[in-house]
Amino acid sequence: MVKENLCVQSVARISHRRPQQEAGEICGVSFGSRGEVVMNDLQWIQSAKNGDEDAYAKLVRRHSGGLHRTVARILADDTEAWDVVQMAFLKAWQKLDRYNPRYSFTTWLYRIGTNLAIDLLRSRTSRERAHKAGTEHRLRLVGTGEGAGARADSNETDNVLQQLVGVLTPQQRSAFVLREMEGLETAEVAEVLGCSATTVRNHIFQARKALRRELRVRFPEYLPASERG
Amino acid sequence: MNCGIFREMIGPYVDETLEEGRRHWFRTHLRGCPTCRESALREEPSLLFAMAPAAPGEPEEIEACAVAVMGRIRQDRLERRLHRRRRPWLAVAAAATLVISGGIAWLTMVGGGSGPLQPAVEARREAELQNSPPTVEVEMAGEEVRVYQFANEADMDTAVYFIVDPALEL
Repeated sequence: MVKENLCVQSVARISHRRPQQEAGEICGVSFGSRGEVVMNDLQWIQSAKNGDEDAYAKLVRRHSGGLHRTVARILADDTEAWDVVQMAFLKAWQKLDRYNPRYSFTTWLYRIGTNLAIDLLRSRTSRERAHKAGTEHRLRLVGTGEGAGARADSNETDNVLQQLVGVLTPQQRSAFVLREMEGLETAEVAEVLGCSATTVRNHIFQARKALRRELRVRFPEYLPASERG
Repeated sequence: MNCGIFREMIGPYVDETLEEGRRHWFRTHLRGCPTCRESALREEPSLLFAMAPAAPGEPEEIEACAVAVMGRIRQDRLERRLHRRRRPWLAVAAAATLVISGGIAWLTMVGGGSGPLQPAVEARREAELQNSPPTVEVEMAGEEVRVYQFANEADMDTAVYFIVDPALEL
């Protein structure tokens, strides 16, 4: 799974028993490059299936940050995203027996979380969305001269998205966030969203078109100086 | 040289025709090279979002999430266990209600009993059953299951409150 942003803490170090050993596996136990024992998702899932709640808590700690970031970008709401993340982990626990180890746990979890986020978006009325868009904080301008986009930092990128994401459908939002912001492959996005790769490309194309138009109108400061007019 | 290759890739990247490995390289270069970023944004403003970072969540928020999730899982498990235990009693209660109701109906039809008094008594019993305060069963380690009953709304002298801590192991 080629991911730039997912699974930042993809490996949990739980002890330092073998300080000099290279990365490898002995008797089914994996060791990291510095010799520490590492547990992968499958081992923890297996333990969790056997009733080990601590193992599941470790999975929650490993994946909740990344899932929250994705869901928050889809919902454009940081607080609501934590509720969705909790619900996703609860649902995943309830369906753990149905989890197929052939697929990545991250993909499975993101599918649950993204579906919950999409359901939530659909349940919001258009009035609520309009109200939210109107009351959001105005993005601070980051100077003139050369394009502000060249210096846009993380929060600013997320702030811009928060204010523009309302022009996208729930499916377009999800596809765009997973593909463009989280860096997932098309096939992975298709698996998460439960659609074809062609549909994902179409969602990305439509989302990019809409965001391009909105950026030019609402955030000209993020365009290069030559583009602002 | 890298910058030249990067600029040639802008079109295929936006069109979703770039191979995944090259796409990964493109995104890394986009974040790392200010000159190329400027030219890329000039060509495609929406590339701004490809620069979104991989900021991990705050450790406190992640821990709070883990505690909340595990608390809900334990609560969910306890509720399901209690639900399973109550089922036989519910079936017995339903059967008893059916038998009593059937008997009363039969007595009323054949004219037996003491007139309208019996149905009224039965109705009152049913109302009492429906209004009875809820009970909670709690498993204590090494002990039998304890059953707590909430105070009735009509009973103004007694009140029972439960403070539920999601992190608390029952």
